[in-house]
Amino acid sequence: MRNKFDEQLATLNREMISMGALCEEAIAVTARSMLDGDNSSSIDRVRALENDIDQKEREIESICLKLLLQQQPVASDLRQISAALKMITDMERIGDQALDIAETAGFMGPVEPEDAPLLGELARKVISMVTDSVDAFVRHDAEAAGTVAAKDDEADALFTRIKNSIIERISAQKGEGEYALDLLMIAKYLERIGDHATNIAEWVEFSVTGIHKGGEML
Amino acid sequence: MTKKIFRSIFLVAFIVLLACLALITGVLYDHFSEQQSAQLASQADLAAQGVENEGLGYFDGLDSGDTRLTWIAADGSVLYDTDADSDSMENHSSREEFVEAVENGRGESSRYSSTLSEETIYQAVLLSDGTVLRAAASHSTVLALLWGMFVPLLLIVAVAVALAAWLASRLSRRIVGPLNAIDLDSPLENDVYDELSPLLTRVESQKKQISSQLDELSRRQEEFSAVTDNMSEGLILLDREGIILSINPSAARIFGADSASIGRDILTLDRSPELRALMESASAGKRSEAVIERDGAEYQLSASPVLTDGVSRGTVLLAFDVTEKLRAERLRREFTANVSHELKTPLHSIMGAAELLQDGLVKSEDQQRFLGRIRSEAERLVTLVDDVIDLSRMDEGDNFPREETDLLQLARDVAGDLGPAAEKRGIGIAVGGSGGSVFGVRRLLWEIIWNLCDNAVKYGREGGHVSVSVDAAPSGGVSLSVADDGIGIPAEHRARVFERFYRVDKSHSRATGGTGLGLSIVKHAAQYHGAQIELESEEGRGTRITVIFPPRAVS
Repeated sequence: MRNKFDEQLATLNREMISMGALCEEAIAVTARSMLDGDNSSSIDRVRALENDIDQKEREIESICLKLLLQQQPVASDLRQISAALKMITDMERIGDQALDIAETAGFMGPVEPEDAPLLGELARKVISMVTDSVDAFVRHDAEAAGTVAAKDDEADALFTRIKNSIIERISAQKGEGEYALDLLMIAKYLERIGDHATNIAEWVEFSVTGIHKGGEML
Repeated sequence: MTKKIFRSIFLVAFIVLLACLALITGVLYDHFSEQQSAQLASQADLAAQGVENEGLGYFDGLDSGDTRLTWIAADGSVLYDTDADSDSMENHSSREEFVEAVENGRGESSRYSSTLSEETIYQAVLLSDGTVLRAAASHSTVLALLWGMFVPLLLIVAVAVALAAWLASRLSRRIVGPLNAIDLDSPLENDVYDELSPLLTRVESQKKQISSQLDELSRRQEEFSAVTDNMSEGLILLDREGIILSINPSAARIFGADSASIGRDILTLDRSPELRALMESASAGKRSEAVIERDGAEYQLSASPVLTDGVSRGTVLLAFDVTEKLRAERLRREFTANVSHELKTPLHSIMGAAELLQDGLVKSEDQQRFLGRIRSEAERLVTLVDDVIDLSRMDEGDNFPREETDLLQLARDVAGDLGPAAEKRGIGIAVGGSGGSVFGVRRLLWEIIWNLCDNAVKYGREGGHVSVSVDAAPSGGVSLSVADDGIGIPAEHRARVFERFYRVDKSHSRATGGTGLGLSIVKHAAQYHGAQIELESEEGRGTRITVIFPPRAVS
């Protein structure tokens, strides 16, 4: 009985890592295409990845529910499974938003040279947040999960800077309005992905320590 | 075991005891009732005698004890009874013992009274006057008899049971004791039941077999570890689910794994799309390869499924460091591209000039100039091809004839060859030093000095100085140093100037006419002699390149 349970938990773990890796890949492909301005093949790639992520979400959901129903886990096992159920929602949103960015970038065309450094920095920051949160999950490392939240503040600050530069440009009545809006949307999506990464990291912390957002839940 | 034996022995003893008791009781009962009948018969005879002699008067004052006497008339009516009133008694003519006595002179019967739970036995004797005297006595039934024996029986049973229990437990312990005391580590040295010796022999032989197999196993394990621990390639064994079974030190270094990684999923070490694709195809039973990048190095991964009867039982993951190989490939590609480009440029010049000459578009006074250009470009081509041939011969490690060569003399020859070119730029070449000889390939040594001096003249300051010196090196070898006071080499380029076709200033090359292979030839020729190259340079102040030949190259 225990063996079956352990096997199912190992499968859950593996599927979670795969899903995390898919998210990382989706956002990495998106960021690369957005900054290089080469969108033709990458939108299809991101769309395929997003499909994979959705499918993984359903698979993991069914694994979790089966585990809860058949094994009635307690203590840390229960935390791990319930945290997984919460995490996949955030991962799925990351996949969706990566696709949104790729599509928006497709309409928008290449990023103007003056915006590229800030947007690139934000994208790199967010990618590293997603990587860190998945890493924290892989290693069951609550401490590493804690560092993701700190990076989220930096990502928010970068978003504010991008927003301000757009406001400046609008008030100077320079450039196209559509480009400015698309740029703002992309920056916002990136910032949202950072939030989802933070959520994932918080659930990792919960699954390891039982503490979620500073308060004990179980 | 002990319990089971105890229970069996005890049960047997108990059953035997009960059976004995039942048997004895039965025999005793038979014996008693027979004795009682005989006694009753003699009493009846005695009483019959008395009645015959004395009539009814016999009964007066008679104490018959437990025996009941009844005198019955020939018609069956009761004449006298010791225990009851004779008048109130019914006719006894139908009683079995009466009928028998009337017929045979004696009769006996027994009747069971369920109300009293007693059996009454009767003995009847026919008197001479036709009357019958009957004696009756009740005798206790089996139950009553047992009841009488109850307390002593209980005592006996209790003692017997206690004794049986004690003996049974002792016996069972005695039987099991030696079995428990068997030393299984050395089975043949035990002295127990003969019946066990085949078993013990078998145990002994299996023990030997197991220990030899264990030895074999640990030896194989050691061999395997010795091989895998020392190989530079990373080796990871995975089970069907992708869980790490073993990981060798190289692989642990490549993937940043530690001892805790064993038993974890391979994806916890690396979840790159390449590795996931590898694992997927491996679990489908297909062998596949991929190149992944980790920490700036590139590794070729090959995943081979371990198949048993066509079913995947696990995966072997091999990782090779291909950084150097890929770099060498890249260099070779660059080299090929560069060579083609360098060969094409003079050929275009030659073709252009030749076409113009052929079409008669060149004025006769310009013809010499055009032919001169064709000749000089052709010379450039020959130089380039010579350089490439030299390099490839050194690459292949060809054996050149070695001879004792005086470097100072060689340097003077080179200085003489380069004299006109140096003069054109107003550069003076000074050859000096204490001198020294190297046992080496004269042509390669000449190439070293010529290329270094040629560079010094080309990149030297107009009107400057080039000094060549050959001295004894502190290490015991010979050092050759060429210094100029020219433009120098910027720091970021110093590591790469020895690469083929590498130029610090790409636009400058046409003017100076170099092939871009000079320093590369110097490097290879120096390597061929086991010599070290030192480069000192300061931008705008000049460059000094020193080639230090080791003592063994010096005779």
